Order: sequence, then structure tokens, then C-alpha cells
Amino acid sequence: MSAISVRDLSMTYRAPVREGGLRAAVASLVRRRYREIRAVREISFEVGPGEVVGFIGPNGAGKTTTLKMLSGILHPTDGEARVLGFVPWRREREYLRRIAMIRGSQPIGGPPELTVMDSLRFQQLIYEVQDEEFKRNLSELDEMLDLGSLLERQIRALSLGERMRSGLALALVYRPRVLFLDEPTIGLDVSAVQMIRSFVATYSRETEATVLLTSHYMADVETLCRRIVLIDHGCIAYDGDLMGLSATLSPYKLVRVAVSDGACGDWSRYGEVVESEPGRVSLRVGRQDVPAVTARVLAELSVVDLAVEEPPLESVMDRVYREGVA
Amino acid sequence: MRRLMRLLSAYVWRQFLEVMAWREFVVTLTINQAITPLLGLAVWSAALPGRSGISTYYVALLVVQLMTVSYEHHTLSNGIYAGEFSNDLLKPHATVLPTLGMNVAMRIWHLLVGIPLIAALVLVVGVSLDARHSLLAVPALVLAAALRFVFTYALALSALWTQQAHWVVGFGETLIFLLGGSAAPITLFPEGVRPLGAALPFRAMLGFPAEIASGSLSGAEVLAGYGWQVLWLGALTATAAVVWRSGVRRYTAVGG
Repeated sequence: MSAISVRDLSMTYRAPVREGGLRAAVASLVRRRYREIRAVREISFEVGPGEVVGFIGPNGAGKTTTLKMLSGILHPTDGEARVLGFVPWRREREYLRRIAMIRGSQPIGGPPELTVMDSLRFQQLIYEVQDEEFKRNLSELDEMLDLGSLLERQIRALSLGERMRSGLALALVYRPRVLFLDEPTIGLDVSAVQMIRSFVATYSRETEATVLLTSHYMADVETLCRRIVLIDHGCIAYDGDLMGLSATLSPYKLVRVAVSDGACGDWSRYGEVVESEPGRVSLRVGRQDVPAVTARVLAELSVVDLAVEEPPLESVMDRVYREGVA
Repeated sequence: MRRLMRLLSAYVWRQFLEVMAWREFVVTLTINQAITPLLGLAVWSAALPGRSGISTYYVALLVVQLMTVSYEHHTLSNGIYAGEFSNDLLKPHATVLPTLGMNVAMRIWHLLVGIPLIAALVLVVGVSLDARHSLLAVPALVLAAALRFVFTYALALSALWTQQAHWVVGFGETLIFLLGGSAAPITLFPEGVRPLGAALPFRAMLGFPAEIASGSLSGAEVLAGYGWQVLWLGALTATAAVVWRSGVRRYTAVGG
């Protein structure tokens, strides 16, 4: 049985619109005009128990709207979804006790005057975590997130990275079975990003929690997710393993060549030059042309090294976000 | 029910600590809330010199005012506008609890800050409080506090439809001021209007407990007043529940 099952899920907003200027502003008081915005269009996918899935796409693609529907904050216009067997937007107590939604932009809600420990105790009360279980969970989270020095500090005095660590502890101290992580590393420094990535990987492995992760940082996705669901203009553009993403979405491969004599007249006759330095070049070559190009390079030049690589995920996604899915 | 009370206590404690961070502002808020009962006291004491019970009524009204203050247009409505309402929807308990917790915490703070003022007034204006009347007013005060919260909460939910929630709640507050016994005690309303004033929910939210405490009501009038309070509490709670259900449906349909 899937942990998350989505079938033909759609969400259409009605957003008020008007032209610029005072006259239009006054007229809109009397007669309002609306435009329908189809944020999510009949998407379907399944996520198995314990799976960590990257849910990626450009800004405005429908990622957060989908997460909000699956966490019960939004009611879809059409379609069905089940998370752990529950219909999310019914917001049943038993359902809400089993999920957590963590937003990188706002990792901690509630009064900033409280200490992290106060807030953890509050979570214990709300989610009815027994004392023994609370201590055990907190000890594990402390080990993974290095919470020791944060527990007695007020939330308002924490840095962004410390807030994220505390926010994760608050969201996970009751051991949710499904995590919706919305940009969990946004704005964090390199060390904090590494810690959060390592934590999410360890947590999902040890607790077998299902994780649906959105992030604009491809390194997050590459580190944590074997599977990618790419959403673009509200539609699923790709659903499959990470390795296959480049192959599916990018018609190019990267051919890296090093030659012994340190020079080559015109690299562009082999492919599009991405970067070059004396004796070394990276070429973008159409997938179907790769065998012929490598054969020509090997035959015509004194090659000391040659590698054919998938393009970096970051550049594939940059292309997809700018130009759309072909 | 026990779990609900434990959660509410926890929310009150949390919000009490939060308000502690801006306690100076609470002093300003308390002074604002005290102004209308103090003005009423000054105006009606001058207009009806020697009339027994006016001073006691307005000092009691000040206590009621401080213990029934409701700022849901700031707490709930602003939370809806800022999207923080979504966090409440994710909690596995009744969504009203954080707002109610803040409401109770704010009332405790208002009372704590207002105690010196109330004590000074008792000494200066010569309040004569009867223990029996005071005890009889306590349940009315609790009902008034519940009623005013439900009323303001329902109005603050208008933020789910419009950006004008502050105006909507402000209009409700004006009605409470005019018809609740603050601008003038209901007992001083013209003969023909008095029964209407006594029956409207605004007196049940504010003036009624003060009328009991000042000893200005007969036994039958106290009973009738309690009847109106219970009736209005039921009606407004049902209304708030309907508004809530409809509002959440809309919120979850148009986006958090």
C-alpha cells in the first residue's frame, strides 16, 4: 500500500485582477474581475512507505500548493488523494498526528519568547507523546541535530540555521510517519545545509518515514532522493529515478576531452564548447551524436583522457525551468 | 474535555509568556480599555449627583471590561492575513484553541495591570460592594467573557472573506460601547428602549454583570438577564460555528 496516493488532483484559484491606475482601482470596488489560475492540473503519483522523493519544479509550478493539499491545508478543486489511508483535507486528528509539514521559510511557529525546550514540551502535550518516548526521541534528535546548546535558549535569539534545527526537532519529536519538507535548506550556510541533509537522510532511513521534499537546491535532491517528481505549469513532467532525469530531459551529454599536445584548432567542429583551457575541453554533444563524435576525436587527436557524462542536474534543471519541458 | 482543558491551559501559559515580552504595550492597551468606563463614571456622576450605585456600577464595569477584552481582529484576523492560520490548521486539536488561549492570557494581563487602578478607584470614589451581589455577578462575568469572545471571534473570521476584518470588529465594538452599558447604563435608557437594550446581546457581554454587582437589579431581572446570556451564548456559538465551517471551506479553497 502506498504512503501517498494522488489521482487526478487539481487546484484552481480565482484571483482578483484589475488594470493599473486610480480609475481601475475605484472601478474594482464596484465590479471585481477574476481570473482562474490552474495551479495544479490533474496530477497523479504514488509514494511508497519509507521513500524519499524530490518534488521539484520552477517557482509557481504548483509544488507548495500540492504539499498544502496533501497536508490538509487546502481543499482541491478536483481529484483524490490519500496519505496513510486518510483524506488529507478532512484534517482528522489521527491524520494530523502522523504528519509534519516543515517550511524552510518559517521553521518554527509560536511564541518566540519560549525556549526550545518549552516548545518541545508543548509539542509533547499536543501530540500526546508519553514521557519515556519523548525522552528517547529527544535524545536521538539531539544526537543527530546537536541540540544540546539550543534547548535552553529562547527561539527569538536563534540564528536561521539553529531555528531550522530546532524546527526539525519540534516537528519530529512526535515521530510523524510522513514529512512534507518545503525548501528545508533555504537561506542556510554550507555547514547547516550539510547537517540538515545528513539529518533528513538518517531520519528517513532509521524511522522509515516517507518524505516528500521540495527544494530549489539540486544538491539537496541529489543527496537525498533517488526518485524525482518534476512538476511544471501544474502538470507532472517527469516521474522517475534521478539518473534517468537528465537522460529524459536533456538531449545532450557532456564530452570531456584532454589532449597531449595541448592544442586543437577548432573544437566547435566536434560539438558546442562549454568550457575550454589549453589541452582540455568540455563539449555539449547531442545524445545520438556521442558515438560518432567520440570516434572522431579518438581518431583525429592524441587523446590522453576522454569521459562522457550526463550534464550536471543543476544545468539540466536550469534549462528546463527557463525553456520548459520539451 | 480534560484534554481540551489541558491544552487550553498550555496555550494560555504560552501566550502569557509571549505577551510578557511586550508588557509595556499591555499597559497602553489597559489604559485604552479603562478610558470609556472612567469617562462614563465622570459624566454620569456629574449628571446624576448623589445617585446611589453609579460609582459602584462603573468600577464594576471597568473590571468587566478588563476581563472581557477581545482582540481577535489582531490575533486571529492578522494571522489569517499573514498565512499563520495554516499552522493552526495542521495542529491535531480544535483550531480555536490558540486564539482562545491568547484571549484568556490577554485578559489576565489586563486584570493584572488594571488592579492598581481598580484599587485606587475603590478608595477614591467610594464603592459599596455587597458580597452577595458580587458573588451573584461572578457567573454573569464568566458568561459575558465567553459571549464577548464568541462574538468577536465570529466577526474576526470575516478576515476569511474580506480585508476589512478590523472595520467589522471595530463596528461590533462600537455597538458594545453604545448598547452594552458603557456609554450609559441600560437602567438609564429611556423607558421605551430599555427592554430592547436589556434583551440585546451587548448588555449580556458587558453591562449585565456590573448591574448585578452594583445591586441595581431585582431578583427577577437577574434571572431574566441570565436567561438572555445563555440564549445569546447558544445563538452566537452556533453562528460562529457556521461562519467557521464556511470560512475554512473558503480558506482551503482559495489558498493559505
